[in-house]
Amino acid sequence: MNNLNHGVHHTTPYKVISVIILLVMAFLFLFPLYWIVTGSFKTMKEINSTTPAWWPSEWVLTNYEKLFSRRSAPLFSIPIPFTDEVVTGPTVPAAIRWLINTVWMAVASMVLTCITATMAGYSLAKKRFVGRGLVFTLIVCAMALPKQVILIPLIREMNALKLYDKMGAVIFPIVGWPFGVFLMKQFSEGIPGEMLEAARIDGASEAKTFLRIVVPLVKPGVGALAIFTFINSWNDYFMQLIMLSSTSNLTISLGIAQLQAELSTDYGLIMAGAALAAVPILTVFIIFQKYFTQGITMGAVKG
Amino acid sequence: MATVTLKGIKKVYDNKVTAVHDFDLEIADKEFIVLVGPSGCGKSTTLRMVAGLEDISAGDLYIGDRRVNDVEPKDRDIAMVFQSYALYPHMTVYDNMAFALKLRKMPKDEIDRRVKEAAAILDITQYLDRKPKALSGGQRQRVAIGRAIVREPQVFLMDEPLSNLDAKLRNQMRAEIIKLRQRIDTTFIYVTHDQTEAMTLGDRIVIMKDGFIQQIGTPQEVFDEPTNMFVAGFIGTPQMNFFDGKVVKKGDGYELHTHGAVMELTKAAQEKLKAQNITEKDVTVGIRPEHVHLAEASKATLGAKVDVSEMMGSEIYLHVDADGKDVVLRIPSTELPSEWRAGIPYGTQIAFTFPPELLHLFDPETEKNILL
Repeated sequence: MNNLNHGVHHTTPYKVISVIILLVMAFLFLFPLYWIVTGSFKTMKEINSTTPAWWPSEWVLTNYEKLFSRRSAPLFSIPIPFTDEVVTGPTVPAAIRWLINTVWMAVASMVLTCITATMAGYSLAKKRFVGRGLVFTLIVCAMALPKQVILIPLIREMNALKLYDKMGAVIFPIVGWPFGVFLMKQFSEGIPGEMLEAARIDGASEAKTFLRIVVPLVKPGVGALAIFTFINSWNDYFMQLIMLSSTSNLTISLGIAQLQAELSTDYGLIMAGAALAAVPILTVFIIFQKYFTQGITMGAVKG
Repeated sequence: MATVTLKGIKKVYDNKVTAVHDFDLEIADKEFIVLVGPSGCGKSTTLRMVAGLEDISAGDLYIGDRRVNDVEPKDRDIAMVFQSYALYPHMTVYDNMAFALKLRKMPKDEIDRRVKEAAAILDITQYLDRKPKALSGGQRQRVAIGRAIVREPQVFLMDEPLSNLDAKLRNQMRAEIIKLRQRIDTTFIYVTHDQTEAMTLGDRIVIMKDGFIQQIGTPQEVFDEPTNMFVAGFIGTPQMNFFDGKVVKKGDGYELHTHGAVMELTKAAQEKLKAQNITEKDVTVGIRPEHVHLAEASKATLGAKVDVSEMMGSEIYLHVDADGKDVVLRIPSTELPSEWRAGIPYGTQIAFTFPPELLHLFDPETEKNILL
């Protein structure tokens, strides 16, 4: 008892060491972000100087000006279904369009993944049907497949669906994310069978049971999945690079890469682009942080 | 308010395991039926078939006059209380109770009236705004019962509702269920493995084992006239004692020989044996611990050596070794000599007997009661 109290109330070497390690790690992870954000406001000379400038001596917006003036694209282009016509918005700096594209891509993948994965995970966990084991095995196998392996078939598939160089080509492959189904299956396993039976006796239809009982119960899982998918989609540079090509369809990371290709040494511009690209994902992370940690520690704390 | 009729109900899992065999039972309107038996006896499966949560492999199930084999649970007009309570954790107590009514698109004020009424009956009005997490086990159980009450179902199903509670709370809730039953007066089917619950709650008890009904009867009937050794051993604590014995025809009557003691049987028992044309037969003698009493050693007594004596306060449970057989005696402490009040020392030699009218005779082969 005494020993336990000792551990709780007093500083121990163990605690001191863990805090030090955490501080070092936090510093290591935060430093690049700090470097990018401050760097994006530095002058070209300061960025390229051999002695690092830890803090901009002069805050300038030239990098952002360059980012927004270099290329332009329509604010949006919405194809009208069943015609070849496209409604386009006013012309704006391409970076803005890229940001919109990226957010659209990530949000759409996130929403669609959450819907499909929750439904699939719930049915795999709680419904008895022929081939259930096989389907689940296939999903687990698919988790082990590297993206590169399915790349060629995927491109052909997207071509056949006339989605090549469209946002759909980077949204739909994410939506079939096997990990999402796996995660939601694990969460759904935790729903007591008796609770679903109670709902059945109470008169809830399959859809009502899912929406009013299952979804609220697996909400932490959905939250975790949402943020995982958002980050996964946002960071899926490889797929974006393969699937998207025209200026107005690029994502922010592709756009920055293109700018970098044009002006290979303009780090200020790249940092401005990177800083801009980090804003949405940081926002999402901060909002969903709670679910994020829950998702990671899933299974470790039950109850 | 309805009768429930089970005709030849059978449950087979995966074409292999038969969980319930030819279950026949007619439950009267407003009757409280308890299904009792050890785990795996098929009692819960039977209840779940009545609820519609399990398919019925064969047989017919009627609620009232309606055959409901293929009717969805929600349309059977039943409500069920689960062992784990199965409350919806994200809803308040009020919403938990109102959920079924909302799904039935009942007017708001009617829902409100029913929920508040049920809450008042169950004394949970002050918790209506809370989530289940913030309630104790007993309170959660009340909410689960409340959720069933508001439906005003024809049949009330309860699947081991008290098993998750501690002993004290269980006794309390058992009394509450008896009170509740008087208030809401509907047909109850109650599943438990606890014979005390079965005895205290049921109008009739169905005792099951390995998917077969062993006996159906009032608590008094199954206690006084168990049809077989399983029922005899299952009902009553401590368990009934069984001895090897032999009935022998002597003159016009019958004598019972067991472990050296010779006893005369009652007239009624002798008639029964005579009717079966028995001249001599090995039997298993069953006698309840409370029906055994200490006696002066004589021809009609069995000798034994005390193993353990458990002082329970008002009575003493005496475990003795009679000729290699463990026997339990339940003796009111007032009947004990004063030197034995605090317990009888290990190894003490005693003699005991039992009145012939309270003993049971079973066929050692079939385990059936041969006096019924």
